[in-house]
Amino acid sequence: MNVEQPQHANLYEQHEWKHPTQVAGVPWKNPVATASGTFQYAAVRWFYDVSQLGAVTTKGVSPVPWEGNPGVRTAEGPSSNINAVGLQNPGVDHYLEDDLLKLKAINATVIANVAGHCDDDYAEVVAKLNDSPADMLEINVSCPNVSAGGMSVGTDPVALSRLITRLRKITDKKMIVKLTPNVTDITVPARAAVESGADALSLINTLLGMRINIRTGEPVITHVTGGVSGPAVLPVGLAAVWRVRAALPTIPIIGIGGIDSGEKALEYLYAGANAIEVGAAALFEPTAPLRVARELDDLLDDRPELADKLAKGETWR
Amino acid sequence: MTAAATFMPTVTEAREAGFFPSRHTVEVVDNRKLADGVYRLTFRDEYIAGHAKPAQFVDVYSNDPTRLMPRPFGVAEVDGDEVSLMFAVVGKGTAEFAGLHAGDTIRVMGPLGNSFGTKQAANYVLVAGGLGVPPLVRAAQYIAGLEHASSTAVFGYRNVRFGDEYVGRYADKVYSIDESEGNVITLLDRIENELMTGDKKPIILSCGPLPMMKAVAAWAAKRGIEAQLSLEQRMGCGYGTCVLCTVDTVEGRLKVCSDGPVFTREQLGWGE
Repeated sequence: MNVEQPQHANLYEQHEWKHPTQVAGVPWKNPVATASGTFQYAAVRWFYDVSQLGAVTTKGVSPVPWEGNPGVRTAEGPSSNINAVGLQNPGVDHYLEDDLLKLKAINATVIANVAGHCDDDYAEVVAKLNDSPADMLEINVSCPNVSAGGMSVGTDPVALSRLITRLRKITDKKMIVKLTPNVTDITVPARAAVESGADALSLINTLLGMRINIRTGEPVITHVTGGVSGPAVLPVGLAAVWRVRAALPTIPIIGIGGIDSGEKALEYLYAGANAIEVGAAALFEPTAPLRVARELDDLLDDRPELADKLAKGETWR
Repeated sequence: MTAAATFMPTVTEAREAGFFPSRHTVEVVDNRKLADGVYRLTFRDEYIAGHAKPAQFVDVYSNDPTRLMPRPFGVAEVDGDEVSLMFAVVGKGTAEFAGLHAGDTIRVMGPLGNSFGTKQAANYVLVAGGLGVPPLVRAAQYIAGLEHASSTAVFGYRNVRFGDEYVGRYADKVYSIDESEGNVITLLDRIENELMTGDKKPIILSCGPLPMMKAVAAWAAKRGIEAQLSLEQRMGCGYGTCVLCTVDTVEGRLKVCSDGPVFTREQLGWGE
Protein backbone atom coordinates (compact mmCIF):
# COMPACT_ATOMS: atom_id res chain seq x y z
CA MET A 1 0.00 0.00 0.00
CA ASN A 2 1.19 3.45 -0.86
CA VAL A 3 1.16 5.63 2.23
CA GLU A 4 1.53 9.28 1.36
CA GLN A 5 4.14 10.85 3.63
CA PRO A 6 3.44 14.32 5.02
CA GLN A 7 5.46 16.97 3.19
CA HIS A 8 7.45 19.51 5.15
CA ALA A 9 6.02 22.99 4.59
CA ASN A 10 7.59 26.31 5.52
CA LEU A 11 5.67 27.84 8.43
CA TYR A 12 6.96 31.33 7.63
CA GLU A 13 5.91 31.54 3.98
CA GLN A 14 3.22 34.04 3.09
CA HIS A 15 -0.09 32.22 3.15
CA GLU A 16 -3.50 32.97 1.69
CA TRP A 17 -5.94 31.80 4.35
CA LYS A 18 -8.57 29.56 2.83
CA HIS A 19 -11.00 29.10 5.69
CA PRO A 20 -12.15 32.15 7.66
CA THR A 21 -14.62 32.21 10.52
CA GLN A 22 -16.79 34.76 12.28
CA VAL A 23 -17.24 35.29 15.99
CA ALA A 24 -20.31 37.38 16.87
CA GLY A 25 -20.17 38.91 13.41
CA VAL A 26 -16.49 39.88 13.66
CA PRO A 27 -14.55 38.33 10.76
CA TRP A 28 -11.41 36.35 11.57
CA LYS A 29 -9.10 35.30 8.72
CA ASN A 30 -8.82 31.85 10.29
CA PRO A 31 -10.33 30.22 13.41
CA VAL A 32 -7.16 30.41 15.55
CA ALA A 33 -6.35 33.03 18.20
CA THR A 34 -3.88 33.26 21.04
CA ALA A 35 -5.23 32.71 24.55
CA SER A 36 -4.99 35.60 26.99
CA GLY A 37 -2.19 35.32 29.50
CA THR A 38 0.10 33.53 27.08
CA PHE A 39 0.50 36.40 24.63
CA GLN A 40 2.80 39.38 25.12
CA TYR A 41 3.41 41.20 21.83
CA ALA A 42 6.88 42.43 22.82
CA ALA A 43 7.96 38.79 23.28
CA VAL A 44 6.04 37.01 20.51
CA ARG A 45 6.75 39.49 17.67
CA TRP A 46 10.29 38.11 17.27
CA PHE A 47 8.96 34.66 16.37
CA TYR A 48 6.32 35.23 13.69
CA ASP A 49 3.93 37.75 12.15
CA VAL A 50 1.09 37.67 14.68
CA SER A 51 -1.26 39.53 12.33
CA GLN A 52 -1.59 36.23 10.44
CA LEU A 53 -3.66 34.76 13.25
CA GLY A 54 -7.45 34.85 13.32
CA ALA A 55 -7.11 37.08 16.36
CA VAL A 56 -4.70 37.83 19.17
CA THR A 57 -6.04 37.94 22.70
CA THR A 58 -3.85 40.15 24.83
CA LYS A 59 -3.07 39.74 28.52
CA GLY A 60 -5.69 40.93 30.99
CA VAL A 61 -5.56 44.66 31.69
CA SER A 62 -6.73 46.38 34.85
CA PRO A 63 -7.45 50.07 35.60
CA VAL A 64 -4.02 50.55 37.20
CA PRO A 65 -0.79 48.50 36.95
CA TRP A 66 -0.86 45.24 38.89
CA GLU A 67 2.31 43.62 40.26
CA GLY A 68 0.88 40.09 40.30
CA ASN A 69 1.89 37.43 42.79
CA PRO A 70 5.33 37.30 44.45
CA GLY A 71 7.74 34.37 44.57
CA VAL A 72 7.57 31.17 42.58
CA ARG A 73 4.72 31.37 40.08
CA THR A 74 4.92 28.11 38.19
CA ALA A 75 5.18 24.36 38.49
CA GLU A 76 4.96 21.59 35.95
CA GLY A 77 2.28 18.92 35.93
CA PRO A 78 1.90 15.82 33.76
CA SER A 79 1.36 17.21 30.21
CA SER A 80 0.55 20.54 31.79
CA ASN A 81 1.79 23.74 33.30
CA ILE A 82 0.51 25.42 36.46
CA ASN A 83 0.67 29.21 36.63
CA ALA A 84 -0.07 31.73 39.33
CA VAL A 85 0.87 35.04 37.72
CA GLY A 86 -2.01 36.93 39.31
CA LEU A 87 -2.68 39.10 36.24
CA GLN A 88 0.49 41.20 36.41
CA ASN A 89 0.01 43.97 33.84
CA PRO A 90 1.02 47.59 33.23
CA GLY A 91 -2.57 48.90 33.32
CA VAL A 92 -5.11 49.90 30.67
CA ASP A 93 -3.59 53.32 29.88
CA HIS A 94 -0.25 51.76 29.00
CA TYR A 95 -2.04 49.08 26.99
CA LEU A 96 -3.96 51.67 24.95
CA GLU A 97 -0.81 53.61 24.11
CA ASP A 98 1.50 50.67 23.55
CA ASP A 99 0.47 47.07 22.76
CA LEU A 100 -2.93 47.89 21.26
CA LEU A 101 -1.56 50.58 18.93
CA LYS A 102 1.31 48.36 17.81
CA LEU A 103 -1.01 45.44 17.11
CA LYS A 104 -3.47 47.58 15.18
CA ALA A 105 -0.58 49.10 13.22
CA ILE A 106 0.17 45.65 11.79
CA ASN A 107 -3.57 45.00 11.17
CA ALA A 108 -3.98 42.29 13.79
CA THR A 109 -7.50 41.45 14.92
CA VAL A 110 -7.28 42.21 18.64
CA ILE A 111 -9.30 40.86 21.53
CA ALA A 112 -8.59 42.95 24.62
CA ASN A 113 -8.87 40.90 27.81
CA VAL A 114 -10.31 42.82 30.76
CA ALA A 115 -9.43 42.10 34.40
CA GLY A 116 -10.68 43.60 37.64
CA HIS A 117 -10.82 43.13 41.41
CA CYS A 118 -14.38 44.51 41.54
CA ASP A 119 -17.20 45.62 39.23
CA ASP A 120 -15.93 49.21 39.19
CA ASP A 121 -12.52 48.01 37.93
CA TYR A 122 -14.07 46.13 35.01
CA ALA A 123 -16.35 49.07 34.19
CA GLU A 124 -13.45 51.53 34.15
CA VAL A 125 -11.41 49.37 31.77
CA VAL A 126 -14.33 48.59 29.47
CA ALA A 127 -15.23 52.30 29.24
CA LYS A 128 -11.68 53.12 28.15
CA LEU A 129 -11.52 50.24 25.68
CA ASN A 130 -14.86 51.18 24.17
CA ASP A 131 -13.23 54.19 22.51
CA SER A 132 -10.20 52.17 21.39
CA PRO A 133 -9.45 50.30 18.16
CA ALA A 134 -9.78 46.91 19.94
CA ASP A 135 -11.91 44.58 17.79
CA MET A 136 -13.50 42.63 20.64
CA LEU A 137 -13.41 42.57 24.42
CA GLU A 138 -12.98 39.46 26.54
CA ILE A 139 -14.14 39.76 30.14
CA ASN A 140 -11.98 37.65 32.45
CA VAL A 141 -14.27 36.40 35.21
CA SER A 142 -12.34 33.17 35.55
CA CYS A 143 -8.77 33.81 36.73
CA PRO A 144 -8.05 31.47 39.68
CA ASN A 145 -5.05 33.48 40.90
CA VAL A 146 -6.48 36.71 42.24
CA SER A 147 -8.08 37.17 45.66
CA ALA A 148 -10.95 39.33 44.38
CA GLY A 149 -12.64 39.51 40.99
CA GLY A 150 -11.64 36.82 38.51
CA MET A 151 -13.02 33.39 39.33
CA SER A 152 -15.00 34.64 42.35
CA VAL A 153 -17.28 36.45 39.87
CA GLY A 154 -17.36 33.68 37.28
CA THR A 155 -18.49 31.02 39.76
CA ASP A 156 -21.41 33.13 41.07
CA PRO A 157 -24.17 33.50 38.45
CA VAL A 158 -25.81 36.39 40.32
CA ALA A 159 -22.56 38.38 40.56
CA LEU A 160 -21.78 37.50 36.95
CA SER A 161 -25.19 38.72 35.73
CA ARG A 162 -24.82 41.97 37.64
CA LEU A 163 -21.37 42.60 36.16
CA ILE A 164 -22.17 41.74 32.54
CA THR A 165 -25.46 43.70 32.64
CA ARG A 166 -23.48 46.76 33.80
CA LEU A 167 -20.72 46.32 31.20
CA ARG A 168 -23.29 45.83 28.41
CA LYS A 169 -24.55 49.38 29.04
CA ILE A 170 -21.02 50.79 28.74
CA THR A 171 -19.85 49.21 25.49
CA ASP A 172 -21.13 48.46 22.03
CA LYS A 173 -18.00 46.40 21.28
CA LYS A 174 -18.57 42.68 20.89
CA MET A 175 -18.14 41.29 24.38
CA ILE A 176 -16.82 37.77 25.02
CA VAL A 177 -17.12 36.35 28.53
CA LYS A 178 -14.36 33.89 29.46
CA LEU A 179 -15.63 31.13 31.71
CA THR A 180 -14.00 29.01 34.38
CA PRO A 181 -14.28 25.21 34.41
CA ASN A 182 -14.08 25.26 38.22
CA VAL A 183 -17.85 24.94 38.65
CA THR A 184 -20.31 22.06 38.96
CA ASP A 185 -22.20 22.95 35.78
CA ILE A 186 -20.58 25.36 33.34
CA THR A 187 -23.88 25.91 31.52
CA VAL A 188 -25.13 27.90 34.54
CA PRO A 189 -22.59 30.78 34.31
CA ALA A 190 -22.72 30.44 30.50
CA ARG A 191 -26.46 31.11 30.48
CA ALA A 192 -26.11 33.90 33.05
CA ALA A 193 -23.52 35.65 30.86
CA VAL A 194 -25.56 35.29 27.66
CA GLU A 195 -28.82 36.43 29.27
CA SER A 196 -26.99 39.51 30.63
CA GLY A 197 -25.75 40.56 27.22
CA ALA A 198 -22.59 38.61 26.34
CA ASP A 199 -22.08 38.38 22.56
CA ALA A 200 -19.89 35.27 22.80
CA LEU A 201 -18.30 32.91 25.30
CA SER A 202 -14.75 31.64 25.54
CA LEU A 203 -14.02 28.50 27.50
CA ILE A 204 -12.23 27.16 29.37
CA ASN A 205 -9.90 29.20 31.57
CA THR A 206 -7.42 27.19 33.67
CA LEU A 207 -8.31 24.48 36.17
CA LEU A 208 -7.33 24.97 39.81
CA GLY A 209 -4.29 22.86 40.71
CA MET A 210 -1.05 22.63 42.66
CA ARG A 211 2.17 20.63 43.15
CA ILE A 212 4.02 19.80 46.35
CA ASN A 213 7.79 19.58 46.76
CA ILE A 214 8.36 16.22 48.48
CA ARG A 215 11.76 17.32 49.81
CA THR A 216 10.16 20.08 51.87
CA GLY A 217 6.53 18.93 52.03
CA GLU A 218 5.53 22.44 50.95
CA PRO A 219 3.73 23.74 47.83
CA VAL A 220 6.01 24.50 44.88
CA ILE A 221 4.10 27.69 44.04
CA THR A 222 4.27 30.52 46.59
CA HIS A 223 0.58 31.32 45.96
CA VAL A 224 -0.03 27.58 46.79
CA THR A 225 -2.52 26.98 43.95
CA GLY A 226 -2.45 28.03 40.32
CA GLY A 227 -4.21 27.44 37.05
CA VAL A 228 -3.56 24.22 35.14
CA SER A 229 -3.30 24.40 31.35
CA GLY A 230 -1.72 22.37 28.58
CA PRO A 231 -2.58 19.17 26.68
CA ALA A 232 -3.81 17.51 29.90
CA VAL A 233 -6.91 19.72 29.97
CA LEU A 234 -8.05 19.01 26.39
CA PRO A 235 -10.86 16.58 27.36
CA VAL A 236 -12.13 18.98 30.02
CA GLY A 237 -12.31 21.89 27.59
CA LEU A 238 -14.00 19.78 24.93
CA ALA A 239 -16.70 18.55 27.31
CA ALA A 240 -17.31 22.12 28.48
CA VAL A 241 -17.75 23.37 24.90
CA TRP A 242 -19.98 20.42 24.06
CA ARG A 243 -22.26 21.05 27.04
CA VAL A 244 -22.49 24.81 26.53
CA ARG A 245 -23.23 24.31 22.83
CA ALA A 246 -26.04 21.90 23.72
CA ALA A 247 -27.48 24.35 26.24
CA LEU A 248 -27.10 27.49 24.12
CA PRO A 249 -27.43 26.53 20.44
CA THR A 250 -26.76 29.94 18.90
CA ILE A 251 -24.17 31.70 21.08
CA PRO A 252 -20.74 32.04 19.44
CA ILE A 253 -18.14 29.97 21.32
CA ILE A 254 -14.35 30.17 21.34
CA GLY A 255 -12.95 26.81 22.46
CA ILE A 256 -9.84 26.81 24.65
CA GLY A 257 -7.93 24.08 26.44
CA GLY A 258 -5.03 21.86 25.49
CA ILE A 259 -4.90 22.71 21.79
CA ASP A 260 -1.45 22.16 20.27
CA SER A 261 -2.33 20.86 16.81
CA GLY A 262 -4.74 21.35 13.93
CA GLU A 263 -6.37 18.02 14.77
CA LYS A 264 -7.17 19.10 18.34
CA ALA A 265 -8.50 22.44 17.04
CA LEU A 266 -10.76 20.43 14.73
CA GLU A 267 -12.15 18.48 17.70
CA TYR A 268 -13.31 21.76 19.25
CA LEU A 269 -14.90 22.88 15.98
CA TYR A 270 -16.78 19.59 15.76
CA ALA A 271 -17.87 20.10 19.39
CA GLY A 272 -19.58 23.28 18.29
CA ALA A 273 -16.99 26.06 18.61
CA ASN A 274 -16.76 28.90 16.05
CA ALA A 275 -13.08 29.40 16.75
CA ILE A 276 -10.33 28.31 19.14
CA GLU A 277 -7.47 29.76 21.14
CA VAL A 278 -3.99 28.32 21.64
CA GLY A 279 -2.60 29.03 25.11
CA ALA A 280 -0.07 26.92 27.00
CA ALA A 281 1.36 25.43 23.78
CA ALA A 282 2.90 28.84 23.02
CA LEU A 283 4.86 28.62 26.27
CA PHE A 284 6.77 25.56 25.08
CA GLU A 285 6.67 26.32 21.34
CA PRO A 286 6.47 30.04 20.52
CA THR A 287 5.19 29.46 16.97
CA ALA A 288 2.48 26.98 18.05
CA PRO A 289 -0.51 29.31 17.35
CA LEU A 290 0.62 29.92 13.77
CA ARG A 291 1.43 26.23 13.24
CA VAL A 292 -2.01 25.20 14.53
CA ALA A 293 -3.64 27.75 12.20
CA ARG A 294 -1.74 26.43 9.17
CA GLU A 295 -2.51 22.79 10.04
CA LEU A 296 -6.18 23.59 10.54
CA ASP A 297 -6.36 25.53 7.26
CA ASP A 298 -5.20 22.38 5.45
CA LEU A 299 -7.44 20.03 7.45
CA LEU A 300 -10.51 22.14 6.59
CA ASP A 301 -9.80 21.63 2.86
CA ASP A 302 -11.12 18.12 3.26
CA ARG A 303 -14.12 19.21 5.37
CA PRO A 304 -15.98 21.68 3.13
CA GLU A 305 -19.27 21.39 5.02
CA LEU A 306 -17.65 22.44 8.31
CA ALA A 307 -15.59 25.13 6.59
CA ASP A 308 -18.69 26.60 4.93
CA LYS A 309 -20.54 26.76 8.23
CA LEU A 310 -17.63 28.51 9.96
CA ALA A 311 -17.30 31.06 7.16
CA LYS A 312 -20.99 31.94 7.56
CA GLY A 313 -20.67 32.32 11.36
CA GLU A 314 -22.42 29.00 11.94
CA THR A 315 -21.17 25.95 13.81
CA TRP A 316 -21.07 22.20 13.22
CA ARG A 317 -23.59 21.55 15.97
CA MET B 1 -7.49 13.16 0.49
CA THR B 2 -4.16 14.88 0.29
CA ALA B 3 -1.51 14.23 2.87
CA ALA B 4 -1.40 17.04 5.43
CA ALA B 5 1.72 19.14 5.45
CA THR B 6 3.91 19.25 8.53
CA PHE B 7 5.06 22.62 9.80
CA MET B 8 8.10 21.89 11.97
CA PRO B 9 9.79 25.29 12.09
CA THR B 10 13.47 25.24 11.19
CA VAL B 11 16.24 27.69 12.02
CA THR B 12 16.96 28.39 8.36
CA GLU B 13 13.33 29.12 7.51
CA ALA B 14 12.96 31.44 10.50
CA ARG B 15 16.16 33.35 9.72
CA GLU B 16 15.27 33.73 6.04
CA ALA B 17 11.92 35.21 7.05
CA GLY B 18 13.63 37.56 9.54
CA PHE B 19 12.43 35.83 12.70
CA PHE B 20 14.07 34.35 15.78
CA PRO B 21 14.27 30.54 15.56
CA SER B 22 11.47 28.81 17.45
CA ARG B 23 12.00 25.47 19.23
CA HIS B 24 13.85 23.14 16.88
CA THR B 25 15.59 19.77 16.83
CA VAL B 26 19.36 19.38 17.18
CA GLU B 27 21.80 16.49 17.38
CA VAL B 28 23.68 15.62 20.55
CA VAL B 29 27.40 15.22 19.87
CA ASP B 30 28.67 14.49 23.37
CA ASN B 31 27.45 14.01 26.93
CA ARG B 32 29.85 13.39 29.78
CA LYS B 33 29.71 13.16 33.55
CA LEU B 34 31.79 15.85 35.29
CA ALA B 35 30.96 14.95 38.89
CA ASP B 36 28.26 13.04 40.73
CA GLY B 37 25.02 14.24 39.15
CA VAL B 38 26.73 16.94 37.05
CA TYR B 39 26.89 16.60 33.26
CA ARG B 40 28.29 18.47 30.26
CA LEU B 41 25.99 18.14 27.24
CA THR B 42 27.15 19.23 23.79
CA PHE B 43 24.89 19.61 20.76
CA ARG B 44 25.30 20.98 17.25
CA ASP B 45 23.54 24.29 16.59
CA GLU B 46 25.17 26.83 14.33
CA TYR B 47 22.78 29.62 15.26
CA ILE B 48 23.13 29.33 19.03
CA ALA B 49 26.89 28.76 18.80
CA GLY B 50 27.23 31.87 16.66
CA HIS B 51 25.16 34.12 18.90
CA ALA B 52 25.36 32.98 22.55
CA LYS B 53 26.92 35.64 24.77
CA PRO B 54 27.86 35.14 28.42
CA ALA B 55 24.84 34.58 30.75
CA GLN B 56 22.52 33.90 27.83
CA PHE B 57 20.72 30.61 28.18
CA VAL B 58 19.21 27.83 26.11
CA ASP B 59 15.80 26.26 26.71
CA VAL B 60 16.06 22.47 26.43
CA TYR B 61 12.86 20.45 25.95
CA SER B 62 12.21 16.92 27.11
CA ASN B 63 11.55 14.17 24.58
CA ASP B 64 8.85 12.90 26.95
CA PRO B 65 5.50 14.40 25.86
CA THR B 66 4.29 14.53 29.47
CA ARG B 67 7.10 16.99 30.35
CA LEU B 68 6.40 20.07 28.30
CA MET B 69 8.07 23.00 29.93
CA PRO B 70 11.61 23.84 28.85
CA ARG B 71 14.57 23.59 31.23
CA PRO B 72 16.78 26.70 30.97
CA PHE B 73 20.59 26.29 31.10
CA GLY B 74 23.25 28.95 30.74
CA VAL B 75 25.57 28.33 27.80
CA ALA B 76 28.91 27.08 29.13
CA GLU B 77 31.06 26.98 25.99
CA VAL B 78 30.80 27.23 22.23
CA ASP B 79 33.19 25.63 19.74
CA GLY B 80 32.54 26.08 16.03
CA ASP B 81 28.92 25.01 15.61
CA GLU B 82 28.85 23.14 18.92
CA VAL B 83 27.23 24.37 22.12
CA SER B 84 28.00 22.95 25.56
CA LEU B 85 25.82 23.17 28.64
CA MET B 86 26.57 21.99 32.16
CA PHE B 87 23.75 20.91 34.42
CA ALA B 88 22.94 19.03 37.60
CA VAL B 89 20.36 16.28 37.81
CA VAL B 90 17.66 17.72 40.04
CA GLY B 91 14.55 16.01 38.72
CA LYS B 92 13.11 13.79 36.02
CA GLY B 93 13.75 16.25 33.18
CA THR B 94 17.44 16.67 33.94
CA ALA B 95 17.75 12.91 34.61
CA GLU B 96 16.51 12.37 31.05
CA PHE B 97 19.10 14.82 29.68
CA ALA B 98 21.83 13.03 31.64
CA GLY B 99 20.95 9.88 29.70
CA LEU B 100 21.37 11.42 26.24
CA HIS B 101 24.07 9.99 23.98
CA ALA B 102 25.91 11.22 20.90
CA GLY B 103 23.59 10.82 17.91
CA ASP B 104 20.40 11.36 19.94
CA THR B 105 18.22 14.35 19.13
CA ILE B 106 16.84 16.96 21.47
CA ARG B 107 14.83 20.15 20.98
CA VAL B 108 16.26 23.50 21.99
CA MET B 109 15.67 27.22 21.62
CA GLY B 110 18.05 30.10 22.15
CA PRO B 111 20.13 31.97 22.93
CA LEU B 112 17.70 33.68 25.32
CA GLY B 113 17.98 36.54 27.79
CA ASN B 114 20.46 39.36 28.13
CA SER B 115 24.19 38.92 28.54
CA PHE B 116 26.74 40.26 30.97
CA GLY B 117 28.07 43.64 29.84
CA THR B 118 31.74 43.35 28.87
CA LYS B 119 32.31 46.56 26.88
CA GLN B 120 34.38 48.30 29.55
CA ALA B 121 38.13 47.92 29.80
CA ALA B 122 38.32 45.89 32.99
CA ASN B 123 39.46 42.80 34.78
CA TYR B 124 36.23 40.83 34.97
CA VAL B 125 36.03 38.88 38.21
CA LEU B 126 33.92 35.82 37.49
CA VAL B 127 32.39 34.79 40.80
CA ALA B 128 30.41 31.57 40.61
CA GLY B 129 29.02 29.00 42.99
CA GLY B 130 27.99 25.44 42.10
CA LEU B 131 25.79 25.37 39.01
CA GLY B 132 26.42 29.09 38.58
CA VAL B 133 29.78 28.04 37.12
CA PRO B 134 28.71 27.28 33.49
CA PRO B 135 27.72 30.82 32.36
CA LEU B 136 30.97 32.14 33.83
CA VAL B 137 33.01 29.60 31.88
CA ARG B 138 31.34 31.10 28.79
CA ALA B 139 32.15 34.58 30.15
CA ALA B 140 35.82 33.61 30.44
CA GLN B 141 35.76 32.20 26.91
CA TYR B 142 34.13 35.34 25.53
CA ILE B 143 36.42 37.73 27.41
CA ALA B 144 39.48 35.83 26.21
CA GLY B 145 38.57 37.12 22.75
CA LEU B 146 38.43 40.77 23.88
CA GLU B 147 41.56 42.93 23.72
CA HIS B 148 40.40 45.40 26.36
CA ALA B 149 39.58 42.90 29.09
CA SER B 150 41.02 40.17 31.28
CA SER B 151 39.32 37.74 33.61
CA THR B 152 39.86 36.23 37.04
CA ALA B 153 37.72 33.21 37.88
CA VAL B 154 36.64 32.80 41.50
CA PHE B 155 34.71 29.56 41.73
CA GLY B 156 33.15 27.90 44.76
CA TYR B 157 32.10 24.26 44.79
CA ARG B 158 30.47 21.84 47.19
CA ASN B 159 33.24 19.27 46.53
CA VAL B 160 34.28 18.29 42.97
CA ARG B 161 35.75 21.28 41.11
CA PHE B 162 34.09 20.34 37.84
CA GLY B 163 34.49 23.70 36.08
CA ASP B 164 38.17 24.45 36.72
CA GLU B 165 39.48 22.48 33.75
CA TYR B 166 37.13 24.31 31.42
CA VAL B 167 37.54 27.84 32.75
CA GLY B 168 41.30 27.25 32.92
CA ARG B 169 41.38 27.25 29.12
CA TYR B 170 40.28 30.89 28.99
CA ALA B 171 40.63 32.83 32.26
CA ASP B 172 43.81 34.74 33.03
CA LYS B 173 43.70 33.49 36.60
CA VAL B 174 41.66 30.78 38.29
CA TYR B 175 40.96 30.52 42.01
CA SER B 176 38.65 27.89 43.39
CA ILE B 177 37.54 26.61 46.74
CA ASP B 178 35.28 23.91 48.13
CA GLU B 179 33.06 23.82 51.18
CA SER B 180 35.74 22.17 53.34
CA GLU B 181 37.84 25.32 52.97
CA GLY B 182 35.33 28.14 52.68
CA ASN B 183 33.37 29.95 50.00
CA VAL B 184 33.82 32.55 47.28
CA ILE B 185 33.89 35.38 49.82
CA THR B 186 36.86 33.65 51.50
CA LEU B 187 38.59 33.72 48.11
CA LEU B 188 37.61 37.31 47.31
CA ASP B 189 39.00 38.44 50.69
CA ARG B 190 42.19 36.54 49.97
CA ILE B 191 42.76 38.17 46.56
CA GLU B 192 41.27 41.59 47.35
CA ASN B 193 44.61 43.40 47.28
CA GLU B 194 45.51 41.87 43.93
CA LEU B 195 42.14 42.83 42.43
CA MET B 196 42.14 46.39 43.73
CA THR B 197 45.72 47.19 42.71
CA GLY B 198 45.70 45.54 39.26
CA ASP B 199 46.22 47.66 36.13
CA LYS B 200 42.54 47.20 35.17
CA LYS B 201 39.60 48.06 37.39
CA PRO B 202 37.68 45.02 38.62
CA ILE B 203 34.06 44.38 37.58
CA ILE B 204 32.26 41.42 39.14
CA LEU B 205 30.13 39.09 37.03
CA SER B 206 28.38 36.53 39.21
CA CYS B 207 26.03 33.57 39.14
CA GLY B 208 25.18 31.10 41.87
CA PRO B 209 22.88 30.45 44.81
CA LEU B 210 20.90 33.47 46.02
CA PRO B 211 22.64 33.84 49.43
CA MET B 212 26.02 33.68 47.70
CA MET B 213 25.10 36.37 45.18
CA LYS B 214 23.72 38.63 47.90
CA ALA B 215 26.99 38.24 49.79
CA VAL B 216 28.96 38.97 46.60
CA ALA B 217 26.83 42.08 45.94
CA ALA B 218 27.50 43.29 49.50
CA TRP B 219 31.23 42.60 49.11
CA ALA B 220 31.26 44.58 45.87
CA ALA B 221 29.18 47.45 47.26
CA LYS B 222 31.50 47.87 50.23
CA ARG B 223 34.41 48.39 47.83
CA GLY B 224 32.53 50.43 45.22
CA ILE B 225 32.91 47.69 42.60
CA GLU B 226 30.36 47.26 39.82
CA ALA B 227 28.55 43.92 40.08
CA GLN B 228 26.36 42.20 37.48
CA LEU B 229 24.38 39.26 38.82
CA SER B 230 22.75 36.53 36.74
CA LEU B 231 19.65 35.22 38.51
CA GLU B 232 17.76 31.96 38.41
CA GLN B 233 14.02 31.55 38.88
CA ARG B 234 11.51 28.82 38.07
CA MET B 235 10.71 29.68 34.47
CA GLY B 236 7.94 29.08 31.99
CA CYS B 237 8.42 30.06 28.37
CA GLY B 238 11.94 31.53 28.64
CA TYR B 239 11.19 34.28 26.09
CA GLY B 240 9.12 36.83 28.00
CA THR B 241 5.53 35.97 27.21
CA CYS B 242 4.25 34.08 30.26
CA VAL B 243 5.55 36.33 33.08
CA LEU B 244 6.14 33.37 35.39
CA CYS B 245 9.78 34.01 36.37
CA THR B 246 9.66 37.37 38.07
CA VAL B 247 12.05 38.93 40.57
CA ASP B 248 11.43 41.97 42.75
CA THR B 249 13.74 44.86 41.84
CA VAL B 250 13.83 48.55 42.68
CA GLU B 251 12.23 49.05 39.24
CA GLY B 252 9.33 46.73 40.12
CA ARG B 253 8.64 43.09 39.40
CA LEU B 254 10.73 42.17 36.35
CA LYS B 255 11.03 39.00 34.26
CA VAL B 256 14.23 37.01 34.89
CA CYS B 257 14.15 35.47 31.39
CA SER B 258 13.83 38.55 29.20
CA ASP B 259 14.50 41.57 31.45
CA GLY B 260 17.42 39.56 32.90
CA PRO B 261 18.82 37.12 33.75
CA VAL B 262 21.54 39.73 34.39
CA PHE B 263 20.72 42.55 36.79
CA THR B 264 23.02 45.07 38.48
CA ARG B 265 23.30 45.11 42.25
CA GLU B 266 21.68 48.57 42.14
CA GLN B 267 18.67 47.19 40.25
CA LEU B 268 18.25 44.47 42.84
CA GLY B 269 18.88 46.82 45.74
CA TRP B 270 21.44 44.40 47.12
CA GLY B 271 24.40 45.45 49.24
CA GLU B 272 23.18 49.03 49.59
